[in-house]
Amino acid sequence: MSQPTSPIFGRLDWTVTPYTDLLHHVTSSTIVGAGAATVLVLGTLGAVALVTRMGWWGPLFRDWLTSADAKKIGIMYIVLALVMMARGIVEGFVMRAHQATALGTLSAPESGLVAPDHFAQLFSTHGTIMIFFVAMPLLIGLINFVLPQQLGARDMAFPVLNQVSLGLTAAGAALVMVSLLIGKFGTGGWTVYPPYTGIAYSPGEGVDYWLWAITISGIGSTLTGMNFAVTIFKKRAPGMHFMRMPLFCWTSLCVAIMLIYAMPALTVSSAMLMLDRYAGFHFFTNGAGGNMMNYANIFWMFGHPEVYILILPAFGVFSEISSTFSGKKLYGYTSLVIASMSIAVISFTVWLHHFFTMGQSANVNIAFGIATMIIGVPTGVKIYDWMATMWRGQVRITTPMVYLIGFFMLFVIGGLSGIILANPSIDYQVHNSTFLVAHFHNVIIPGVLYGMLAGIHYWFPKAFGFRLCETWGRRTAFLFVGGFLLTFMPLYVLGLMGMPRRSPTFQNPDFLPWMYVAGVGAVLMLCALGSLGWTFWSSWRRRADLAVPGGDPWNGGTLEWSSPAPVPAWNYPRIPDVKARDDWSAAKRGGDPWKGPDDYADIEMPANTRFGLVLAAAAFALGFAMVWHVWWMGVAALLAIVAAVMWRGMIVLEPEIVPAAEVERADRQFREWVAAAPPASRADEETPRNRGVPDITEFAG
Amino acid sequence: MTRPNTGELDPGESAKAELRKYALGFVISVVLTIAAFAAVLSPLAPMVKIIAVCAAALLQVATHLRHFLHLSFSGGQSREDLLLVLFSVCLLSIMAGGTVWILADLQGRMHDSEATRAHGAARGDGGATSAP
Repeated sequence: MSQPTSPIFGRLDWTVTPYTDLLHHVTSSTIVGAGAATVLVLGTLGAVALVTRMGWWGPLFRDWLTSADAKKIGIMYIVLALVMMARGIVEGFVMRAHQATALGTLSAPESGLVAPDHFAQLFSTHGTIMIFFVAMPLLIGLINFVLPQQLGARDMAFPVLNQVSLGLTAAGAALVMVSLLIGKFGTGGWTVYPPYTGIAYSPGEGVDYWLWAITISGIGSTLTGMNFAVTIFKKRAPGMHFMRMPLFCWTSLCVAIMLIYAMPALTVSSAMLMLDRYAGFHFFTNGAGGNMMNYANIFWMFGHPEVYILILPAFGVFSEISSTFSGKKLYGYTSLVIASMSIAVISFTVWLHHFFTMGQSANVNIAFGIATMIIGVPTGVKIYDWMATMWRGQVRITTPMVYLIGFFMLFVIGGLSGIILANPSIDYQVHNSTFLVAHFHNVIIPGVLYGMLAGIHYWFPKAFGFRLCETWGRRTAFLFVGGFLLTFMPLYVLGLMGMPRRSPTFQNPDFLPWMYVAGVGAVLMLCALGSLGWTFWSSWRRRADLAVPGGDPWNGGTLEWSSPAPVPAWNYPRIPDVKARDDWSAAKRGGDPWKGPDDYADIEMPANTRFGLVLAAAAFALGFAMVWHVWWMGVAALLAIVAAVMWRGMIVLEPEIVPAAEVERADRQFREWVAAAPPASRADEETPRNRGVPDITEFAG
Repeated sequence: MTRPNTGELDPGESAKAELRKYALGFVISVVLTIAAFAAVLSPLAPMVKIIAVCAAALLQVATHLRHFLHLSFSGGQSREDLLLVLFSVCLLSIMAGGTVWILADLQGRMHDSEATRAHGAARGDGGATSAP
């Protein structure tokens, strides 16, 4: 980047695409780079063509993009996450394919599928995408969809803020995606440690892409956290005391607290690095009293709560499904609540274990090492609680249960390797090796990914009105379990054999067999991704058979199963009056749970607005302009954001009123349908006889 | 709901009083900001400057909470507000205290700081901004 910055186009010119590299040298690395850019371009064009051909632009804009309904926002978050996950898994596969061919010699160290610099971009984007644009949108989306329903609310406390959060997350994701085609992504890993990522060593656009994507989406996540917290504190239905909330709501509360207190640390560390890079500051360079070690410190102050932000919603999902699919009340509710809250608070006291080897004295290390070991205890409590919930229950091995059982087996291994790493003296031996890579994939994949996929499978009928195909769902789950085992267990071995993480090449032929096994595992993960896509597609084609209009396909116990499937925008015709923990269970035990309300009233729902879209577009423009030093566009985008916020603050907004007559008609139709439908027993759960009206005589939960 | 909810915060308080509260908060914030910059630009001793900036920052936080976020220790929500403040103070002191502890420890394990500074100055190692 030595050419002068143009006042109009900044640093953009025609040489920034991977096609230029391909024209210069045709190697496997440039072919992969150009291929990825082509997939992005063709995918975008294909999606636009499909939407145009089907005439979906109007409905997409009216019903989805401008909607302030938390359920739709949640679904859009999950769609975004699944698109990004496809890219993340393919990148993981390319990295495994590369390392399986990367055995070099001392005289010719560079070999393999992709060039070292390209490999560094791959692991940087893979980590960034998987954490910030897959795991986070998955869990935020699931909470958005489920939380208001479980609390007996109609929507989030701030529906439009919710839309803005989604817009900012999508803008960040779009920045990462655009980096495939325009320019390069950073090579500093997903943590982007200076001084390597400072302007002196990484002068290009790559680190800036990361910084802007993370800052923009991070602000969105902070706002989301506040939204969740206010919703839980202020929007619970009458009678929904804290100790009556379903466990998923409790873990959402923990997530909200952690988002509020942890995300600002990330925003601060990114902003400081931005000031270093753009404005000549010295926060993380040696000059003028700067200290690069403070970056690791601030980053992990966010980073450790972050891993519990990721895992706690999965714990919430597992609490719900272990109870529902065992036909039993959740064992040890209070202990699970205490354990979740303990994790949320203790997670703020362990961040140093991510940099045990940075050079601080043993006293500091051991304090954080002990805190790290303590945080394993509440997690252990939870595992026992879920096993006790299943104990002597009527367990049905549905897809979410396969994920749960896979989680039991694998997450415990990951947790134990974490306890090993919590010991600083052991950490000194294995840090920066693939042992660590195996450890965090071993908690994130069986924890977050399985949990979120189980949650999607569990609540899918509530969103779309039909179940997902169990056969393909289970195949997907088995493929994810097998793929995980084959991909990451060899990395434990390789780490103990001394293989450093993020190595583009290695010279020890003993590593090679393990690399091949991991490569086979990566193929299985790709198959799992395909199988996941096929599950959605084949279920959509069989949607008439799988339809569950009764809305309670699993004979569940929490409030959200009392409404029809798909759930109407207003969730409940009347805000429910909660009388017990697992109120729907109590209603079932009381007999006649589907009794309608006596009278109906008008319902106020948030009106559609384009505010989120406008802010998302402006935020993307701001990020893109700043990455490429197109100053006029950055200023214009910033002014647009300020103007949009001010405009929004000036106008009076009217909610949309759903008339009582319409609510009554829809609700009575649903209740008459349920009364006429034959109840399905648990044995029939996977058959077309399951229309979402369970046999409440066999309900014991 | 998308209706402006500012009117629901305290029905007894008129819009005028509310506006006055915001305006006062804004003025205090601006004064504190100017004070912090003035302290940095002044010829005071570095330690005094740091203390002045920190004090201005804490007062700034308090002003925002009181005037913009309507936090108060009297009234219907005082218990929740107090818990919120205590919890925030607890987490923030863990973060700030932990940072000071960690970085002070790292500092102590570096070479003698005076000597390092002299050595660094002699080598012209003042800034790493120049490209390698």
